[in-house]
This record gives sequence, C-alpha cells and structure tokens, in this order.
Amino acid sequence: MKRIDSSFRDPDGFMFESRGEMFRAVNPSYKPAYDHLLTSGLYQKLVDREMIIPFEEINQTDLGLSGFYKVLKPERIRFISYPYEWAFNMLKGAALLTLEIQLLALEHGMSLKDASAFNVQFQNGKPVFIDTLSFELYPTDRPWIAYRQFCQHFLAPLALMAYVDPGLNRMFIIHIDGIPLDLTTKMLPLRSRLRLGLYLHIFLHAKSQQKHKDSTIRFESMNKRFPMGSMIALLSGLKTTVANLHWNPGGTEWADYTGEGVHTQEYIEFKTKIILQLLDEVKPQTVWDLGANTGNFSRLAAQKGSHVISFDIDPACVKKNYIQVRKDRETNILPLLQDLLNTSPSLGWDGTERLSIFKRDKPDLIMALAIIHHLAISANIPLESIASQFAGLGNHLIIEFVPKEDEKVKHLLLNREDIFPDYHQSGFELAFSKYYTIEKIISSNCNLRVFYLMTKK
Amino acid sequence: MILLYLDPVTGSLLIQGIIAAVSGILLFFKQIKQIVKNFYNRFFAKKQEGDE
Repeated sequence: MKRIDSSFRDPDGFMFESRGEMFRAVNPSYKPAYDHLLTSGLYQKLVDREMIIPFEEINQTDLGLSGFYKVLKPERIRFISYPYEWAFNMLKGAALLTLEIQLLALEHGMSLKDASAFNVQFQNGKPVFIDTLSFELYPTDRPWIAYRQFCQHFLAPLALMAYVDPGLNRMFIIHIDGIPLDLTTKMLPLRSRLRLGLYLHIFLHAKSQQKHKDSTIRFESMNKRFPMGSMIALLSGLKTTVANLHWNPGGTEWADYTGEGVHTQEYIEFKTKIILQLLDEVKPQTVWDLGANTGNFSRLAAQKGSHVISFDIDPACVKKNYIQVRKDRETNILPLLQDLLNTSPSLGWDGTERLSIFKRDKPDLIMALAIIHHLAISANIPLESIASQFAGLGNHLIIEFVPKEDEKVKHLLLNREDIFPDYHQSGFELAFSKYYTIEKIISSNCNLRVFYLMTKK
Repeated sequence: MILLYLDPVTGSLLIQGIIAAVSGILLFFKQIKQIVKNFYNRFFAKKQEGDE
C-alpha cells in the first residue's frame, strides 16, 4: 500500500495505491457521515446526476488491510489536472458544481466540510467531484465552514481572470490554498466593487477577515445563529455571483477566434489526411497534443478512440476547446493550459502534493504540430534538447517541422539575428535521430513543412 | 465544540450572517420578480396561442 502524497490533511481517510489501482481508506471516525451519505440517498443522487465519481466498496482483507471502516475503489480519473491548468469556463464549471453539490447535500442533512478546487476533476468532458469524504453531517445553525475556502479557490481566481487577466489562475501555483482575499482586493479594479456579489463575498469578506484576525473568541460562544434559510441565501448569492462572471478574449469576434492564423484550406486538408494516416500507424491509447490550439487535430485522435490531453498556452484557445467539448459532449478530450517553456511544477508539502505535469502520466503518442519553431527559435531551445524532452515523455512522436523559409518562421526572425545555423531539415533529423528512429517522412505538397512519425530508440 | 480539520477563519464565519441577510433580501425580490414575470408570460403566451 502506497499512500498518495496529496492525501494527508483529512483525518477521516486517505487515498492509496495498491497493485496498480487507486483506493480510498475510510477511517472509523467517518462512519456516521459515511453511513448517512449512503442511506440518505445523497450519494446515489450525485452519482445519477454524474456530479460525483462513483466508487465500489472493497473487502479490505483482500488487500491485506484491517482497521478501516471501509475501503473504497473509486472510478479511476484518467488524468489528474489542477485549477491552474483550467480555462476560465472550466474553473467556473467546477465552482458551480461545488455549489450545486452543497445545495443538494443540505437537502439531505449534509454539508461540504471543504470546498477545494482540487476536489474537482474533469472526467468524460465535464467536471466531477472526487472527494467522497468531504461530506459532513449538517451542523445546524452553523455558517458554512468551507466558505473561506470556496471564495479563495473559486471566486477570487474567477474574478481576477474576468477582470484582470485570464491567466491569473496560475496564482494558485504560489498560493496552493487559493488566492488570499486581501491580495485579491488589491488586484481587482475599482469597478469590480460595483458588483454586489463581488463586493460582499470578496471585499467585505476580506475586511471581516482582517478585522477579526486576532480574535480569541470561540464562534460557539458568540451565540450567533445561522439557520438553513441563511445558508441557502448565501449559496444562492454565490451561485449568481459566479454565474455572472464572464471572460471573453478582448474585442475579438468570439466565434471566429481560432488562434490558428491563416492557412490555406488545401494545407489544412493535407495535414488532416496525414495526421489520420499516421495515427492509424500508432493506434495510441493516450495522446498529448502539445500546442493544440483549439484542438482541431486533437479531435482527429479522439475520434479514433484515443484519450487526448489538448495542451495550449493561450487561455482563449483552451476556453474555446472546452466549449466544443461541452457542446459536442466529447468524452475523451481534456483541454488544459500549459506553457511548454514553464510547465506545471511539483508543488506543496514535500514537493509532492501536486505533481509536475511530467510525473502524472506518460502518453503513448506526442503530437507536436507546428510548434518546433516556437521552441527552437522563439525560445532558443536546442533541437537536441527538444528531442530529449519529447523522448522522455512518450514512445511515439508525430511532429511537424517548419523550416526557416516558412512565413511563420520568417516572421519570428524578422527583427533578430539568425543564430540558428542548424535549424534546417537535416539538422532537425540529425538531432531527433539521437533519441528516435524516424519511421516516416512526409513533405507537404502545398508548403515547405514536413511531417514525421518517430519511435523512441 | 465541533472539531474541524479546516480553519474556517473567524472573520469568514462572522461575515456570513450579514452576507446571507443581504443575499436573502435580494433573493426575495428576485423570486417576486420571477413570479410576476411568470404570471405575465403565461398570460402573454396564452394570448399568442389564441392568435394562431
């Protein structure tokens, strides 16, 4: 049994890995809440509505364990992602899901004892709650324990993304327990105070935290009541506030936004044909599409049955990609924000609480389409270093080489010295041959780009 | 005392009463607005059906 490093805060249980599978141990302390979760029908309702990850109870002696109240085997999450990798609409979806679950829990005499964004994952194209142990018996007349955490994990980053910059959820990387409200108030523009919801849940809330920060009085002794009606009003207010936050890329006609730039239809058709053909050669189970844009080529792999992570650096592209996932109910594409030059690091306690992107999975296939020039020329990364990194990730590689004569590369070199004497087709092949066997080379018939299928040596 | 594993922060607990009160009042008016709207919509929809 190997305990999962991120699972140590909750005294009621923890996640562990055994024989290559994931399990959740439930401690005897959680018995009353666990029993109520099941007997009240709340768990079943959440499963029926696909709001929570389902689990089955396992006989703990089969795993050589004893002393736990229950051992559960939850449905495996295909890829763990974190809120600092989600687009605006993904974080918003996760926030609304958390509030819906809290409202449903209240109807069944329970309440969420935490509201961490890390308790939500994306599975089958939508957000789903993963922490079975987050439900406590509703403590009558008590305010919501997780209110502060909800505001820090959801409302603050969403407001910052909507009002300041769509990439500000990356502040989670510095503040692992969500963005502190006093910091949020310093960053939000004045006009955001005019929104009543933000004023109450962020500005006034931050003020109250500041005012009472040295308080030594126990809440119970204050004789304050917080009836169910107040709880419902609080949650409805939060829901409206979250629902009213929007972010769209500045000034662009949203429907036309592709981020792709202009390519001829002929080239796109050619590229599509080649990618489909190469995918058939590899038949990958899992694909990472690096620099996926809005996910057009990710979809080719997804339609062939692969599970695809569609990475891009542009929050607008990731948002648009996720809109399509929801619209078409696609179950095997996960769009994520990722800066390949500065990928998600390992974070938190002991440096293992949240894993770096490279430690979470190894895909069968990497797709790196029209991205090599951004890495090699814009960011000065040696071709061999790119090859080495890709080879460390997955066995197969579909890569598109964009030569110096290409308009995009010409543009990158417009105002800078050409310090890339090895950046040409044979230099590229030489660098990548150190790590890969080149299986196929296909030149585009409408421009100078070249497609490769490679297998790791 | 209820044992909590998460620090709810005193200020965050105390302010919920005030925020809930304001939200409650808003919710009340919103519901009234919705009821009135529904009433008119129903009335209006019926009229339209009659027209067809």
